[in-house]
Amino acid sequence: MEDLDRDFLSDLPQSIIETILTKLPIRDAVRTSILSNRWRYKWASMTHLVFDDRSATQFNDRMVVEDRIVNFITRFLFLHDGPIHKFSLSSSFLQSSPDIDQWLLFISRKDVKELILELGEGEWFRAPSCVFSCKNLMRLELVRCELDPPPNFKGFLCLKYLNLQQVLIPPDDIECLISSCPLLESLTLSYFDSLELTVRAPNLKYLILEGEFKDLCLANTPLLIAISVAMYMTDDIAEHFEQSSSCNFDKFLGGVPELERLIGHIYFTKYLSIGNGQRRSPITYHHLKFIELYQVSFDDVKEVLVVLQLIVNSPNLKALQISGSSNTSAATQAPDLQFWDEKFSTDCMLRQLKTVKLTDVSGVPHEMKFIKFLLEHSPSLEEMSITPSLYVTEGRLNMLIDLVCFRRASPQASIVFIHEPA
Amino acid sequence: MTEADSEIIKPEMLKAFVWLQMSDGSIQQVEQEVAMYCPFICQEIHSGMGSSKNYPISLPSRVNPPMLSLILDYCRFHQVPGRSNKERKSFDEKFVRMDTKRLCELTSAADSLQLKPLVDLTSRALARVIEGRTPEEIREIFHLPDDLTEEEKLEPIKNTMDDPRIRLLNRLYARKRKELKERERLKNVEVEEEHADERSVDDLLSFINGDNDDSKGSRTSKNKKKNRKRKDHHKTTPSNSTSSSSNAVDMNKKESNELDSVCSKPSLHGKLLTDVCHETKLLDTEDAGLAAEDEFDDCDLDDDIDPALKEKIDREVEDFARRLNSDWPERMQEILSLGQEKRPLRLTINGNGSLRR
Repeated sequence: MEDLDRDFLSDLPQSIIETILTKLPIRDAVRTSILSNRWRYKWASMTHLVFDDRSATQFNDRMVVEDRIVNFITRFLFLHDGPIHKFSLSSSFLQSSPDIDQWLLFISRKDVKELILELGEGEWFRAPSCVFSCKNLMRLELVRCELDPPPNFKGFLCLKYLNLQQVLIPPDDIECLISSCPLLESLTLSYFDSLELTVRAPNLKYLILEGEFKDLCLANTPLLIAISVAMYMTDDIAEHFEQSSSCNFDKFLGGVPELERLIGHIYFTKYLSIGNGQRRSPITYHHLKFIELYQVSFDDVKEVLVVLQLIVNSPNLKALQISGSSNTSAATQAPDLQFWDEKFSTDCMLRQLKTVKLTDVSGVPHEMKFIKFLLEHSPSLEEMSITPSLYVTEGRLNMLIDLVCFRRASPQASIVFIHEPA
Repeated sequence: MTEADSEIIKPEMLKAFVWLQMSDGSIQQVEQEVAMYCPFICQEIHSGMGSSKNYPISLPSRVNPPMLSLILDYCRFHQVPGRSNKERKSFDEKFVRMDTKRLCELTSAADSLQLKPLVDLTSRALARVIEGRTPEEIREIFHLPDDLTEEEKLEPIKNTMDDPRIRLLNRLYARKRKELKERERLKNVEVEEEHADERSVDDLLSFINGDNDDSKGSRTSKNKKKNRKRKDHHKTTPSNSTSSSSNAVDMNKKESNELDSVCSKPSLHGKLLTDVCHETKLLDTEDAGLAAEDEFDDCDLDDDIDPALKEKIDREVEDFARRLNSDWPERMQEILSLGQEKRPLRLTINGNGSLRR
């Protein structure tokens, strides 16, 4: 059969060959140059370049490996032919060096659309100014980097995705950077210290923030769909919180009507509770379907109110997940439970709520009232799972006794109490 | 129509079908929801095609019946919305287990139908096949022609990291390149190689017979002349060739030593013979390369004969030599016959000796 001997691979269209080469580690992609005449330079027109620590054989000597990677990339770029749409460099061996600056200069002339840089733990790499001249940049991810936008920087006009992690950037510049990227759809900022951030991004859809934020304000983000915030606390910030008078809830969640998913870690609810008057917020989150809040302190009435406010203003809520961080021993005075009976009447039914997952439940009064509230106001509830906190051993029986009493609005609701015997 | 019949027909009627025509003319009926998973077919349906047997959707030529059935299997599984990611992943992994030829065909067919997820899946599978393999393995799997010229292959491997193995390879290639160049020159003076070979056999004969002082003498005188020439040329030639020759000689010494240990019954003949055989042959070819022009000047006797006749003479001499060596172990004969070849460094002796370069 002649067929058996035909070369099927090389006949594939160039776009597929490029896809295949891109899925190989870049070393192997270059090695294809020795296969046959047709393959000699197929690798050289790859548009997606991903360099990592595998681009050099591993040796014990860091200097040697660093040298090899530098050599490899330099020679690769020199022999490359054609546009480069993606340049990704993740190497723990490489530190700041003039070679990297030169590569970036080369790349910036090649119409690059995606730039990903993650270098080693040593001296942080300082992004050269040529990075800011990549006009067609759509995706920028930087880790352990110093960014210093030049004064005449007008922004990345095509940037849709920005991810900065452990990046040193003057606080004013970060706000400028965000607002000067009109098409920005996804923003991720991680490990920032003491940042006061006001986000103005009219097309922003996804927001992920993690770090020590003194102040967070979403000033112009009407299209935001998903938010995930992890707020770390320092003494500095706690002090700042105490002195603040503005209503954080409104500042942060006041202008996001399209929100579909909200995830808050660590001190998020505490942050929202500051300056929050006990009134219903004017905005209703019609699209909010998933709420996940972690480390909610049910000792603090204000935090409980924040949670309630969120839930009550989300008529289409489908799934709720809350993890508590309450201290059963700290309750010295009887908490004010009256508002439970007064404030929230039956007109705020959560008709779409199907699953509730509560973890680290300590059984403090507010928490039990909250569970009671949920059961009474969710006619479509299918499952509620409760996992008691590890630190609560004797109180579990009381919890169960209370649970059994609660009325359920949903006939098909099942309560799962996850009890692992010690 | 019985109730049973109508029950059977009903579900069929509810499902819509599209007609697809392949490049070989055959027409196939496929459930619409399955076929719609392919963007190409989807477009065709929207523009009105495929609703009846008379107006089937013409599929691109890269889609043949076996590929179509594979693609439809893929679509049939994935178009069901309720499947979990885990299920889909596990299906995909099993799906791409096929020989590489079919993988290539499938990639091509899926690409022409614009079914991107399948193209991604098969490309990944092909990448996995290529990853980590040597060029020879890849060429064999995909039937790629090994059509890079010797020169191109010998170009120092660009762009790979400074592997010490690569550096060694490059050095060996540089040496090989030099020899290639010499061989190029030899091609023009093919006569000289023949000449060299013939001489080696003659040496053998003279050694065995211990006669023909004249011929020997003439030979040795010639050799002396050549030696002198060789010395001169050695001064001018680059160090590489000397290093290669010295390497070769070293290797040969090693080889002949191995031979010794291997052959239980060798006569002194054997060792000396092989030594002579190897060394003269080697030195001669190098010599021939170096002193090509001088050969013409020196030997007017032999070089006047035309090459065809020379070959004939060579063959006769070979036969004669073989007959003479008939009582030697076969291994020796092989060496002899290998001695006639024009490959100085490649000495492979199979069998118990298992001498390899």
